[in-house]
Amino acid sequence: MSDGIKRRDFLKVLGVTGAGAGLVGCSTDKVNKLIPYVVPPEEITPGVATWYATACGECSAGCGVWVKTMEGRAVKLEGNPNHPVSGGALCARGHSALQGLYDPDRLKQPMRRSGDGFEPISWADAEALLASELGSAGAATLLLSGHTGPTLGELMDRVAEAVGGRRVAYEALSEAPLREAARIAFGRDEVPTFDFEAADLIVSFGADFLETWGSPVEQSRGFARSSGVSDDGSKARFVFLGSRLSLTGQNADEWYPIRPGSEGVVALALAGAVARRGGNAGPYSDLLAAYDVAGAAEAAGIPAGSLEELADHLAAASSPLVLGPGVAGQHRNATAANLAVLVLNAVSGAVGSTVRFAAPVSGIPSTPYADVAEAIGQMSGGAIRALVVHGTNPAYTLPTASGFVEAMGQVGFKVVITPGMNETAALADLVLPERHPLETWGDSSPRPGLWAIQQPAMRPVPHFESRGAGDMLLGVARALGADFGAETFHDYLRNRWSERHAAAGTPGASFSEFWREVLRTGVVEMGAPAASEPALQPPDRALAFDAPLLDGEADGLTLVVHPSSRFGDGRGANRTWLQELPDPVAKITWHSWVEMHPDTARERGFRKGEIVRVASPHGEVELPVWTYPGIRADTVAIAMGGGHENTGRWADGRGVNPMALLPAEAEQASGALVHLATRVTVEPTGRHRRLASIEGQSQTFDRPITPAVELGLIGELHGDDYGDYGQLREFQGMGGFVPVPTEGRPEDYPLEGARYGDYDPANNARWAMAIDLDKCTGCSACITACQSENNIAVVGEDQIMMGRDLHWIRLERYYETVDAAQPGPVDIRFLPMLCQHCGNAPCEPVCPVYAAYHTPDGLNGQIYNRCVGTRYCANNCPYKVRVFNWYGYSDVPEPLNWQYNPDVTVRAEGVMEKCSFCVQRIRGAENRATAERRDLREGEVVPACQQSCPAEAIVFGNIRDPESRVAQVSQNDRTYRVLDVLINTQPAVNYLRKVTFHPVKDIHV
Amino acid sequence: MATATDNVDRGAATHPDVRSYTEVNTDILAMLSRPGKWWWILLGLSVAGIGLLAFSWGNQLINGIGLSGLNTPVGWGAYITTFVFWVGIAHSGTLISAILFLFRARWRQSIYRAAEAMTVFAVMTAGLYPLIHLGRAWHAYWLFPYANQRMLWPNFRSPLVWDVFAVTTYFTVSSLFFLLGLIPDIAAARDQSKPGTLRKTFYTLTSFGWRGTDRQWHHFGKAYLFLAALATPLVLSVHSVVSWDFAMSIVPGWHATIFAPYFVAGAIFSGVAMVITLMIPIRKIFGLEKYLTVRHFDAMAKLILVTGLIVFYAYLNEFFMAWYSGEDPERRVFWERLFGHYWWATWIMLICNGIVPIMLWFKRVRHSIAALFVLTIFVNIGMWFERYVIIVTSLSTEYIPFAWGVYRPSVTEMGIVVGTFGWFFFWFLLFIRLLPPVALAELKEVLPPPMRPKSKQEEVAR
Repeated sequence: MSDGIKRRDFLKVLGVTGAGAGLVGCSTDKVNKLIPYVVPPEEITPGVATWYATACGECSAGCGVWVKTMEGRAVKLEGNPNHPVSGGALCARGHSALQGLYDPDRLKQPMRRSGDGFEPISWADAEALLASELGSAGAATLLLSGHTGPTLGELMDRVAEAVGGRRVAYEALSEAPLREAARIAFGRDEVPTFDFEAADLIVSFGADFLETWGSPVEQSRGFARSSGVSDDGSKARFVFLGSRLSLTGQNADEWYPIRPGSEGVVALALAGAVARRGGNAGPYSDLLAAYDVAGAAEAAGIPAGSLEELADHLAAASSPLVLGPGVAGQHRNATAANLAVLVLNAVSGAVGSTVRFAAPVSGIPSTPYADVAEAIGQMSGGAIRALVVHGTNPAYTLPTASGFVEAMGQVGFKVVITPGMNETAALADLVLPERHPLETWGDSSPRPGLWAIQQPAMRPVPHFESRGAGDMLLGVARALGADFGAETFHDYLRNRWSERHAAAGTPGASFSEFWREVLRTGVVEMGAPAASEPALQPPDRALAFDAPLLDGEADGLTLVVHPSSRFGDGRGANRTWLQELPDPVAKITWHSWVEMHPDTARERGFRKGEIVRVASPHGEVELPVWTYPGIRADTVAIAMGGGHENTGRWADGRGVNPMALLPAEAEQASGALVHLATRVTVEPTGRHRRLASIEGQSQTFDRPITPAVELGLIGELHGDDYGDYGQLREFQGMGGFVPVPTEGRPEDYPLEGARYGDYDPANNARWAMAIDLDKCTGCSACITACQSENNIAVVGEDQIMMGRDLHWIRLERYYETVDAAQPGPVDIRFLPMLCQHCGNAPCEPVCPVYAAYHTPDGLNGQIYNRCVGTRYCANNCPYKVRVFNWYGYSDVPEPLNWQYNPDVTVRAEGVMEKCSFCVQRIRGAENRATAERRDLREGEVVPACQQSCPAEAIVFGNIRDPESRVAQVSQNDRTYRVLDVLINTQPAVNYLRKVTFHPVKDIHV
Repeated sequence: MATATDNVDRGAATHPDVRSYTEVNTDILAMLSRPGKWWWILLGLSVAGIGLLAFSWGNQLINGIGLSGLNTPVGWGAYITTFVFWVGIAHSGTLISAILFLFRARWRQSIYRAAEAMTVFAVMTAGLYPLIHLGRAWHAYWLFPYANQRMLWPNFRSPLVWDVFAVTTYFTVSSLFFLLGLIPDIAAARDQSKPGTLRKTFYTLTSFGWRGTDRQWHHFGKAYLFLAALATPLVLSVHSVVSWDFAMSIVPGWHATIFAPYFVAGAIFSGVAMVITLMIPIRKIFGLEKYLTVRHFDAMAKLILVTGLIVFYAYLNEFFMAWYSGEDPERRVFWERLFGHYWWATWIMLICNGIVPIMLWFKRVRHSIAALFVLTIFVNIGMWFERYVIIVTSLSTEYIPFAWGVYRPSVTEMGIVVGTFGWFFFWFLLFIRLLPPVALAELKEVLPPPMRPKSKQEEVAR
């Protein structure tokens, strides 16, 4: 070695360092042991999705859904197109079921009380304990259950019977007043079916049928079909009577801001007025005579003439539909108000056409609050020794004043069966982790004759030792010596269905074939009762139709407590998708607010965001003010769903629970909990907060963003009217600047001279979208669908407050005409804003590294791993649809990361992202077509938003193909492109103007 | 070409109190040897500023750009504001040294060296910001056209890529120009420093063997002239390109053809103001009153007045054009500027850049050092806010009203902005202690040559 480095040594050193560098360079942080499938499961192809049909268990609507699983994990829910309720669509809450499945705050194992806390115990011990306690309690056992499928409900009753106790079913959002009213009016103890699609006039007395009332997805579809203008120019008019414009109210054509509680009187007066115009009030004629329009108008605080006008409309309508007060309007005379609305339906001729009753069927109606109140009485009296709670959370959903929490303390042994901890479970002696609906067998029946089988879409999430409620109950029954002929709930369900199958006269062939087919399609339609046309019956009990008494000081503001369209009664609160979904009305995320009319706020000196103390005689809460022109000046409103404790990391301590303000009082006739019951005082606290809102400005300043057209003027658009540009034209006459009109049809975009990249119009599709704003209801289901499909991260409350919302769709809401002082037209416009995939995209030329570029098939691509994060593209995007990963938002606790769709990149910190038109679905369909040696078929590519839209407002496809639906829908006089006239962006998203009944300003677009 | 007599006369007029070449050498080179108390205090503050910068930026690199206050409508904020601010500051140096050299404006001699140094350090400071504001700063090199096997190039249509070229070119040329001009003066410093010291070695190396021969002076003169000619178009191009970062977009309030001249004028306006702000304390601390005379400040003040009027005209023009466009988005941005959420920033801008410089019409103001010092600080503040107003108000109220949003700078952003001032002053303070801050050789050019009196009578007559 004396003469320096030898060649061999040099090569050795080089080899070792090179290998070392290679190892360091290529290794990931941790090398885990990887085991490939030695014997691969037959139905699983890595990278190819397997779909299972099942039923959504998020609310009582019972939508049929399809679950997409990849490598054995559920990654996305979609509406089952075969199912008559969902019709292929799904709401935001339905999508969020996935987050319920992977909720990291689910219980890991059974827990037993130990002092103030809980200790884990084994399943064997837990079940033995449960069986022995229930066995010893015997008749003093109470089973408190929420909404369940019919077979599970049946099993619960049988188990309760075997134990010797009884079962009380309780749902926070009750339809009891409507059911009782239907019984009084028609002798039918059931909720009627409403046919929105057939209606030509829809009148809602505060029923939020697009959000929480009834079956929102199905109703949205029906509503959009009738209320969206059809090709022949017909369009159903929607009149909303209520104290506050809910999302449903925002979709109305006219708003009668009636005083809360005056629904019954107004409905009767209208019924009288319609009867005078030729309607038949039957046995109610005398009652109607007592209510005149002038008196009702006085009670409602609106001019009498407007009610006469509405009566004219009702009398003239060929198939009107009137809907009763919803949950928010459940006051002390709620049954009377519902009865009045049913009478109005009958007088207007709606019963039998748009309001249908089926023959009564057996089924367990949800028991109203009165039964729960009775149970609470028994509990506090010591008559209940064992309490089993399943599928409901009374410690949260009942008013504090009900005394449920104290009464529960009096029960010797409390068991709560629940997937995750909640307020009621925190009080229990034994908490049993239940499986999520996507892991268990079950069934659902949204209405007589229609069923869906709920089958597990995946094996139980291994992080949680959970068991199905049915299996647990069967175990208890077995331990107590009752035999239901089934080892597992799956067997029980199959046996039960085999009986149903036999009873229905064996449709199809053998049961096993039937069962296989049912599991495949997810829908069973059998034994639908024939529709019947019941006649009005005279009331069998005395009812007061007048405005209800309200607690609290007479000069206070009336409090409306309404179910949240995101959380319903509050059950989805630990799901980040729902917390971060901007409320469709307030556009606020993550926290509660109190809605107040701007005039009221000004009078009292409140600013937006000011934290106020809202106090009723029953309790008080503190929350920020949000000023809203869509609420009466004498009313304030708070949504349910906030203020959880012991529920999970994302729900606890967020917002307030307005149930604290309500009395624990059942409505006399139906026994339902009274929601509209009190006036409140609103006092300043001197504190202020920034609202976690995505709302910028809610006016369009007449920019070419959401133009509308009056119904009669469709076909007369696009005149030479430059609107506000008249002033500019004068200058043009003097030799000034003349704007160049954007020429060309959307299918020709991008125009000559605007091409980027390798775009080749001759051999490629031009992917485009059409959104009918006359159908869009602003429900925001598309946002969550997109979030689920595209792995959009959740940023949290503080980030939303800073304006760092990451959603790819922004549902804009603009107030055009909103007047809470008198009846009149209401015009609130929605605009789902997503990447417009411009032919002449401003974002593309400014990117210094080609991360934003034009794909050969005309998409506006975004290459995440090329992006360096200059944010120039977002600055230059006139639509503001580009969102940035300010932090690494995608890290979520195990197993919530299982929700990610493996077809889509999970984005890292520091990169820009935006709507991709679900490019993974386009490529997937192209690959399928190539593999099958054929061309892409029309309608084969459906982006997540279109797939999910309950209103069927979105159409996607290749606009260059004249046969495609998107091309045909876009061939409409109402079609326009946002801002295109101003900045020549040549977007691929075509919007169809909203259609109004009142004159609107024509915006040049 | 000016004649020797001209030189003598003008030199005498510019620096009436400077007697001899030796005096110049003694006075100026004395600056290099006297680290006063104030220098150390300022250096300490600057190092603290660099510490703040390192901490804030490091924190941001580790935890994410989310530490800024930026959000979805407002993707650029204090970082780009300060970037443009420093690029603007960088303009006066080259203007004074190159353009005024070509135009033979003789009053430039005693200020141009410091102005050039300021230029180089300002570009060094500005150059940090494009890195700081990136979401993934570690990929910044992707903006350069480097050879790679995937044949990926930057997008030459993007003004940000133009920016990369404009700023790096400007930095290269202005540094070369600065270093070239220094050679004879470093040689003078070399000749005066004690043998065997570190200083001597440093000056020996950096004076590149300068001996002051005719041949060397000849080449030096040629090189200096050519570099001045090369640097001159850059004065106009760099800030034009920076302005195109905005003007090439379609953001209302940015998309305007006036931006390039408007930004260049603004850059000179702010740069000259910064030169005055820096020179006044130096003059005071180092006792350079006879080299930096009121005449110099008067000339620079006139430059501020002229460019200030152009800038103010551009402001008014923008408001008029917004109204004249007839477009609501354009009009509303300017309305929001005056009366919206950021009204205070706009009014600071209008008052500091539009109203305050009008006082320079008065000779008394131009000749009052104290008044100039205060006034130029106003201009510096106003010009920072000008960029803030242009960037932030335009982005916060764009085309889609529902997406409007408000931006508030975060603690991290403020730390970085303050920290880069520390970075700039650190270099500048080192400069005035290490390199001759006033151009010795050129100053001597304008002084009366040391000639022996021709006769006794003449001397008596004098």
